[in-house]
Amino acid sequence: MKKNKMSVTSKQHAAGWAFLAPATLLIVIMSFYPIIQAVFTSLKTGSSANMKWAEPLLYNYTRMFKDKLFMRSVGNTFLYLLIEVPIMLILAILLAQILNNKDLKLKGFFRTCVFLPCATSLVSYSLIFKSLFATNGLINSILVNLGILETNYNFLGNAKSAKVIIIIALIWRWTGYNMVFFLAGLQNIEYSVYEAAKIDGASSWKTFWNITVPLLRPTIVMTMIMSINGTLQLFDESVNLTNGGPANATITMSHYIYNNSFGQGVANFGYASAMSFFVFILVAILAFINMKVGDKRD
Amino acid sequence: MKRKVLSVLLVAAMTASMVAGCGTGKGSGSSAGGDTQSAENPTAGEDEHTLSVSAWDKSFNIPALEAAAKDYQENVDPDFKLNINEVSQSSDIENSITLAGSAGDYSTLTDIVLFQDHWIQKYVADYPDAFQDVNDADINWDDFAEEKLSFSTIDDKHYGVPVDNGTVVAAYRIDLLEEAGHSIDELKGCTWDKFIEIGEDVYNKTGKYLLSMDGDGNDLVYMMLQAEGESQFKDGKPNIVENDKLVKIVEIIDEMVQKNVLYLANDWNDYTDQTILGDMVAGVINGNWIIPTIEKVEANSGKWEITTMPTIEGGDGYASNGGASLYVTANCQNKELAEKFLAYTFGGSQTTYDAALKNGGVITTCISAGKSDVYNEGVEYFNNTPIYAEIVEMGSHVKPVEQSEYHYTCREKVAAAIINITQNGADVKDALQDAEDQLNFEMGN
Amino acid sequence: MTKKKIHTSSIQKRLIPSYIFLIIVSFISVFPLYWMFSAATNSTVDVARGKITFGTQAVENFRKLLEQQDLFGALGNSFLYAIVQTVVALLICSLAGYGFELYHDRHKDRVFSFLLLAMMVPQVATMIPLFKMMSSMGLLNTVWAFILPSISTPFLIMMFRQNSRNFPIDVMEAARIDGLNEIQIFFRMYMPIQKSTYAAAAVITFMNAWNAYLWPKVVMSDNRAQTMPMLIANLAAGYSVDYGVLMMGVLFCSIPTMVVFFVLQKQFAEGITGSVK
Repeated sequence: MKKNKMSVTSKQHAAGWAFLAPATLLIVIMSFYPIIQAVFTSLKTGSSANMKWAEPLLYNYTRMFKDKLFMRSVGNTFLYLLIEVPIMLILAILLAQILNNKDLKLKGFFRTCVFLPCATSLVSYSLIFKSLFATNGLINSILVNLGILETNYNFLGNAKSAKVIIIIALIWRWTGYNMVFFLAGLQNIEYSVYEAAKIDGASSWKTFWNITVPLLRPTIVMTMIMSINGTLQLFDESVNLTNGGPANATITMSHYIYNNSFGQGVANFGYASAMSFFVFILVAILAFINMKVGDKRD
Repeated sequence: MKRKVLSVLLVAAMTASMVAGCGTGKGSGSSAGGDTQSAENPTAGEDEHTLSVSAWDKSFNIPALEAAAKDYQENVDPDFKLNINEVSQSSDIENSITLAGSAGDYSTLTDIVLFQDHWIQKYVADYPDAFQDVNDADINWDDFAEEKLSFSTIDDKHYGVPVDNGTVVAAYRIDLLEEAGHSIDELKGCTWDKFIEIGEDVYNKTGKYLLSMDGDGNDLVYMMLQAEGESQFKDGKPNIVENDKLVKIVEIIDEMVQKNVLYLANDWNDYTDQTILGDMVAGVINGNWIIPTIEKVEANSGKWEITTMPTIEGGDGYASNGGASLYVTANCQNKELAEKFLAYTFGGSQTTYDAALKNGGVITTCISAGKSDVYNEGVEYFNNTPIYAEIVEMGSHVKPVEQSEYHYTCREKVAAAIINITQNGADVKDALQDAEDQLNFEMGN
Repeated sequence: MTKKKIHTSSIQKRLIPSYIFLIIVSFISVFPLYWMFSAATNSTVDVARGKITFGTQAVENFRKLLEQQDLFGALGNSFLYAIVQTVVALLICSLAGYGFELYHDRHKDRVFSFLLLAMMVPQVATMIPLFKMMSSMGLLNTVWAFILPSISTPFLIMMFRQNSRNFPIDVMEAARIDGLNEIQIFFRMYMPIQKSTYAAAAVITFMNAWNAYLWPKVVMSDNRAQTMPMLIANLAAGYSVDYGVLMMGVLFCSIPTMVVFFVLQKQFAEGITGSVK
C-alpha cells in the first residue's frame, strides 16, 4: 500500500519538475549565464574582436568610479527614481481607490482612459512627447496663447526642464499600469472590512491608511520592485526623448552603458559590462531592502 | 466552451510555430518575415552578378547607390544586381561590425558597407579582419580630393571608395541680407568679427539668426578650426585649452549666441526642422549635404547663394564636415566584382555621379567628374548659380588636418563645454579644461 | 422610491471631486494620444508648429509612409514575433507557475526564489553575451533570436503561480482517479479554468513583445526583419523628419496594442486580480 502510494507521488513529483524545467532552464541560459559572462567580460579590455584581461584586473571598475559622466548618469537615474516612483505610485493608489468606489459611474471608461498610455510603445510615446514639447510645438503655443509664457521656451534644451519632461513622461506612461495592480489588490479586499470600519466611525482617510494600505502591502512591494527595476534600467526615454542631452545632462545609466557598447561606435564592451554589473548589484540591493521592509508582517 | 478555448490556443500555438519554422528554415541570413524575397540571402551576393550593400539615408546615399547600380547594369553587366540593405543611421553599420567582431563571425555583413569617414580609421584598427583593402581597384586616386582620401587611406593602402563630399558651404539668404543693408560679397571669406556685425544687423532688421547649429554635437568648432588649418588633436593627444585658435573660436561662438547671431538647437532634428525648415535663419554653414534640406522650403527658391566660410583673420575659409565612403567587408566572396563595380562607378563614372547628384544631391569629390555639364548647370534654388561646380572647386582647397578616432568623443565634450558656457555662463578656459580632462579620461591618457 | 433617489443623488454629489479628478487625469492620459491621431493627419510643418485640429493630410502621409518604409513588412514581422512570443511564453510560464504552485515543496520554492533574481538582471548587461550566443547558433534575424531571451520571465511565472492558488486540488485528485495523467490535467482542467490569467498574461506579453526596441535593434539588423518600433525610430532618425509621416507610423505602431487591450480588457483585469491575491 505504502509502496504503491510512493510511486504515484514520485510520478507526480517528477511531473512537477518537468513542468517547471523548460522555464527554469531558459532563465538560467538567457539571464544567469549571460550575467556571469558579463562579469568575465568586465575584467577585460580591448575591442570586441580582440579582448584581453585588463591590467590591473579591476581596471574597468576603478575607471567607473572616476568617470564623472557615469557618476552623473547614476545621479540622474536616482533623481528620476526618487521623484518619479513615489509620485507615480501614490497617484496610482489614489486612482485605484477612487475607481474602486462601487457608486462611481462610468468606471470602465475612466479605467480604460487611465490605462491607455501603457498601450503605446516606449519609442512611440517618447516621440509623441518630444513633438509636444518642441520649441515651436503644441505645449509652447498653448502656454504662450494663455499668457503663461511670454516667448516659446526650449523645454528639452535646458537641463532642468528636460529632466522634468522625462519625469512627466514617465508618470504619464506608467501610472495606469500600476493602477491596474492596485485596483486588483483592492478588489481582493472584502467589502465587509470597510463596512466594519464605517460602523466604527473611522474617517475615509483613516480607513485608507489603517486598512487599505496595510492590506495592499504585497501589491505595493511588488509594484515598487517593478518600478525601481524599470527606472534603474531606463533607456528608451533617455534615447528617444532627449538623447541624453543637453550635454549629457539627462543621460541614464543604461543609456550611458549602451553608448559605451553600441551607441557611439566606441564599443568598449569590457567597460560597459563592468557598469552593467554595477547596475545589477544596485537593483539587487534595492529589491532586497524593499522586500525586507515590505515583508515585515506586523 | 472550455474545449473551444483550449483548441483555439493549441491551433494558434501550432500555426505560430509552423510559421516560425518556415522563417528559420531558410537559413540564418533570411528574415523571419516570410516575404517573397527571403529565398535569397541578403547578406551576401549569391551569384557572380550580385552584390549587397548596407547604407543609410533614403534621400541621399541610397539614390546614389541606385544610380551606380543602374549605370553598371546598363554599361557593363546587364545581369548585375545590387541588393541595398537600408539601415536607419550610420551607427547601425558601426554596430553591426562591432557585434560581428565580438562573435568572431563576419558572415552577417553585406559585401559592401557605407561607413562614416571619421570612424573608419578606428574600425580598421580594431577590426582588421572585417575589411578588405581595395588598393588593386582600377581607380585613378589622384583624381580625388586629398582631404577626402586622407580618411580612407590606412597604412598607405586604400580601403574605401569615396561617395559624397563634405566640403563646407556658407549659404546665405540674399534677400534678408539686402533687407539688413548687406550683401553676400561682404560675407565671402570675411572675419568672424565682421560676420557678427552683419549678423546683428540681420537679427535686428529681420528677426532671423544669421547662423544655427546643432548644439548637441557641435560641428561648428571643427569646421571653424579646419578653416584655420588646425585640429583639436596634436600628435594623438587632445589639443584644446592650449590651442589659442580653439579658445578664440569658442569665445566667438559664445559672443554669437549672446548677440543673437547664432542659434544653438537642441539636437539634429531640431537643427534641421526647427531652424532650417522652420525658417528661423538667414544663413547655414555646414557640409554641402545640408543643401537638400535647405531646398525643402520651396517658398525660398532663388533667395539663397553660397560662398566660403569666414575665418578669424579674414580670407576664404575651406573646411569639410561629415561624409562617407564605401568599404568592402571580409564577407565579400566576390572581391573582384566589388572592385570592378566600385572602380567603374564611384571611381569616376560621370553617369553615376550625374545621376547621384540629380536624384540625391550627392556631390562628388572626384575632380574630373565634377566638371560635367550637370555640375556646371545653374541651380534655380540658388539664384541660378552653378553651386555644384563651385563646391567641387572649393573641396580641392580643403587642407587635411590631424584626425583622431576620438573625433566624436571630442566633439561631444566640446559641445558640452559650449552649452555650459552659453547657458550657465561658465568660464571659457575652465569649461574647456573640463572638456579636455574628460576627453583625456576617455582616451585613457 | 423618492427617498432612494435622493440618497443616490447625494452619494453622486459627494463623488463630484472624484469625478473632476478622474476627468482631469483621463484628459491628460488621452490627450497625447489624441495628438498622435491629429498629427498623423497634418503636414510636417503643421505638426512642428503645434496644430491641434485634424488636418487633411492623412492619405498623403500614409502614401509617403508606404513609399519610405516597408510598413506591411514591419507590421507582419511585429505580429509574427509578438504572437509567437506570446503563445510560447504563455505555455512555458504557465507550466512553470502551475508546477511551482501545485507540486510545491521546499526545493521548488527555493528554485523559484532563485529565479526571481533574474528580474534584477538588467537588459544591457546580458545583451552582449546573448548576441554572441544567437550569432553562434545562427539565429540572427530570425524569430527565435527575438523571442528566446523573453520567453521565460520571472514576472509571468510569478503571475501564474499566484493565480494557481485558486485552482482546487480536489479537482486534480478527481481527475487522477478518472485516469487523466498529469499533462492531461494541465491541458484539460487547468488551462480552461485559468482563462483570465492567460488573457492578462497575453496582454502583458504581447505588449512587451510588440514594443521591444533595444534587443531587436541588436539582433534584427537585416531590414527585412525589422519591427514597428524600429520602423518608427528609422522615421525619426532621418536627416530631416516628416512629422506627419512619423506620427502616422506611430499610430500604426500603437493601434494593435490598443486593440489587444480593448478586446481582452475584462479578462485582463480579472487575471491581474488573481495574481495579487
